[in-house]
Amino acid sequence: MGGTQYMKIAVALIVLLPLAGFIITLLLGKRFFRAKAHVLPVALVTVTAVLSVYAFEWVFRHPDEAFVWNAFTWVAAGRFTVAWGFLVDPLTGIMLLVVGIIGMLVHYYSIGYMKDDPGYYRFFAYLNLFMFAMFVLILANNYLLLFLGWEGVGLCSYLLISFWFRKKTASQAGKKAFLVNRVGDFGFTLGMFLIFVTTGTLQFTGVFSAAEMIGSGTLLWICLLLFTGAVGKSAQFPLHVWLPDAMEGPTPVSALIHAATMVNAGVYMVARSYPLFIHSDVAMLVVMIVGTFTAIYAAYIAITQNDIKRVIAYSTVSSLGFMFMALGAGAWAAGIFYLFVHGFFKGLLFLCSGSVIHAMGGEQDMRQMGGLRKRIPLTFWTMLIGAIALIGVFPFAGFWAKDEILGGAFVGGYYVVWAVGIVTAFLTAVFAFRLIFMTFFGESRASEEVQRHVHESPRVMTIPLVLLAIPSALLGMLVGWPPETGWIHSFLEPVFFDVEHEEFVWLGVGGGLMVFSVAVALLGVYLAYVMYIRRTELPGRLAARLPAAYKASFNKMYMDQVYEVVPIRGTIAFAGWLWTFFDVKVIDGAVNGLARLWELFGERLRPLQTGRVQNYAFSIFAGMLVLVVVLAWVWGS
Amino acid sequence: MNALYWWLTLAVLLFCIGAFGVLVRRNVIVVVMCLELMLNAVNIALVAISNFRGGALGAGTLFALFIITLAAAEVTVGLAIVIANYRNRRTVQTDQYDELKG
Amino acid sequence: MPGGDFHPGLFVFLAAWILVCALGVVAFKKIMYSAASMVACFLGVAFAYALLSAPLLAIVQILVYVGAISIVIIFAIMLTEVQDGGYELFFNRQAVFAAPLAVAAAAVLTVVVVTSDIGQIGDTALNPSVKGVSLLLFNGYVFPFELVSLVLVAAMIGAIVLARREEEKP
Repeated sequence: MGGTQYMKIAVALIVLLPLAGFIITLLLGKRFFRAKAHVLPVALVTVTAVLSVYAFEWVFRHPDEAFVWNAFTWVAAGRFTVAWGFLVDPLTGIMLLVVGIIGMLVHYYSIGYMKDDPGYYRFFAYLNLFMFAMFVLILANNYLLLFLGWEGVGLCSYLLISFWFRKKTASQAGKKAFLVNRVGDFGFTLGMFLIFVTTGTLQFTGVFSAAEMIGSGTLLWICLLLFTGAVGKSAQFPLHVWLPDAMEGPTPVSALIHAATMVNAGVYMVARSYPLFIHSDVAMLVVMIVGTFTAIYAAYIAITQNDIKRVIAYSTVSSLGFMFMALGAGAWAAGIFYLFVHGFFKGLLFLCSGSVIHAMGGEQDMRQMGGLRKRIPLTFWTMLIGAIALIGVFPFAGFWAKDEILGGAFVGGYYVVWAVGIVTAFLTAVFAFRLIFMTFFGESRASEEVQRHVHESPRVMTIPLVLLAIPSALLGMLVGWPPETGWIHSFLEPVFFDVEHEEFVWLGVGGGLMVFSVAVALLGVYLAYVMYIRRTELPGRLAARLPAAYKASFNKMYMDQVYEVVPIRGTIAFAGWLWTFFDVKVIDGAVNGLARLWELFGERLRPLQTGRVQNYAFSIFAGMLVLVVVLAWVWGS
Repeated sequence: MNALYWWLTLAVLLFCIGAFGVLVRRNVIVVVMCLELMLNAVNIALVAISNFRGGALGAGTLFALFIITLAAAEVTVGLAIVIANYRNRRTVQTDQYDELKG
Repeated sequence: MPGGDFHPGLFVFLAAWILVCALGVVAFKKIMYSAASMVACFLGVAFAYALLSAPLLAIVQILVYVGAISIVIIFAIMLTEVQDGGYELFFNRQAVFAAPLAVAAAAVLTVVVVTSDIGQIGDTALNPSVKGVSLLLFNGYVFPFELVSLVLVAAMIGAIVLARREEEKP
């Protein structure tokens, strides 16, 4: 078929071009490319974006087929064979769009943002490596290859978070990200082992067709272990602690990796494992509960944070919680829908914040900002669009997706979840517009010096902002209308077969919920308005009246301290004990003891060597006699 | 009791006496002498067996002849060594030849 | 009777002679007495060869062992004269263990020999005459014969080199 020929080339290039970009830029960038080091990576990524759209279009035209291509055998060890194989189905298609387009826009943005940075070439090299790993992750047709991409993006996350490695906090944040991720990866790996042991394969098609026959206990474990990996990668409670600290990295990194792509990997993986999860109600319940809890937890922390990027980071954690809530509640398509639009508006928010930081000459603390609305209007308007999309107000993108999730929870009977979701939406509106108001409205609280330098970002940065604002505004309507039966739902049918679709009643439960959630969001906006524009002394007084609540939120619910005390100190103490007792006494003792033993042997045996031949002759003669006796005995009998 | 057994018994006893001397005497030249005794014992055994059982066309006698020859060579060289050693160390006591001790 | 006539009396006398002289070698305190004992022992052995119908060997024994080796040994004794006062023990401390070992060895070996079936009469008997030996020597065993002469030359040279006195510096 001519179609698959081109697809093969497209898929291969999508994977290989960024890899080539990485290698070439890394090797030659410092000496040959220098300030022009962005040219090759950006060009390659642009081509990759085009190819991603092409691949998506292919899926669009063949909705019921999935493109599967096993390029070559990767591992062949007896019963265990894994191929370097690709799968492109509707789910992959959506991911390709997100990763390809947003990835490309971030690359362009970085040209402006990272200008004059000494590690310019390194940045683009790492970005390309990230694209390679992410594409491998979403294009994989088996768990092991997916895991390869998974680890690859984890590595890139580490490299890029600690990009300014001379800054101590940055390198520590990178390490934290990698280590916390690793905990999740451990669970993922165990899950993969279990899958292989029970089904004998890691290929998606093989695993999923065997899914019904796996015992429910085993299946539960598999799902939970896989979910652990997702918890780590997508920063859910309790493995979320790395994401806020990851803001140490440059803003384009935050936008790309920690908003639009890498953190979605966990959601993608769970969605991909739909046939496994759908057979385990308990696992889905766990997913939903963790997601829901994380959502409200992160939103609660976000309302007191002062670093503009941190607010958005916690918002991301909360949004990811929403996605897991959706998946767990059975609203699979809704969850992926939300992932789709979230990539755009969250990426937009991050890039806008980067623009603000750029304008403020590097300042990230919102308490130093204010009144920027008139000075950097483009950034303001695009960020406003992003914020409205986030809080889920009609008709912007976030509204359709978020509302479908909440509706799905309500209709599915999970009323508590719905209630928590509503509260979270309220808090989201509060902190989102707190951010907007503190940054763009009111009097400038910055110093004279800084105020003079406030300027709009260069075009290479603002164009991506605009390009992201458009889908943030309109995408929801385009793909999600009408609710529950829109284009995206039918598009994802082949992937999420068997999901029940509730009829959406406009003038009934569905419509009512919609109106209610919009009202809640607007209420949050009003509250933020009151607290940060009208009566700005309110937040201070509220904090004074409820100090414990405030402190809990501000200090990130003390999670870092919890981690410090329980695992970290314990591990260090254990390591210390191992050293003083085990290593020194037992191991060294054994080795030294062995040496001393041989020494002793030598000392005791020494007198045997008298140096006198007659003594030796005696031994020889005696030995000969023994031999004679033995031989005579043996031969005689 | 066949005659051969007598001869062989003689050879064995001579051998053992020689061995005892090798192991026990402190003068190295006496040790060499006892060594010669052992060689002679072996010769007797060879010749006796060859005489009573034959075999290999009487190579037993020939073998004994070779042994005598080589014993002569061996004694020569051995005593030369002893004399050279004596010059350095002024002793022929086996107890004192313990340079390789330990 | 194969093996010639066996005269028990003669044998016993000969055996006694040889063994007593051997004991003498081992037991005498003075070295010269040991040496003399050894010579007597060799003579006895030569006689034994004669009794075992190997006259060539008997003559060779006397020529080589008595005539050469014994002389060499006596020379060595003379050259390595030690003062008689230097002896405390003349058996070394190993004697305590070596004596029982030697006795045990003798016993074991005798038993082994006596209980074996080596005494079966072979098809040929009697040692070869001088003619027979020379036939063997120069036909079949010529190679070892040449080698032995080589060994003798080497021994000679070696002995000379080893025992040479260092040249005095002029």
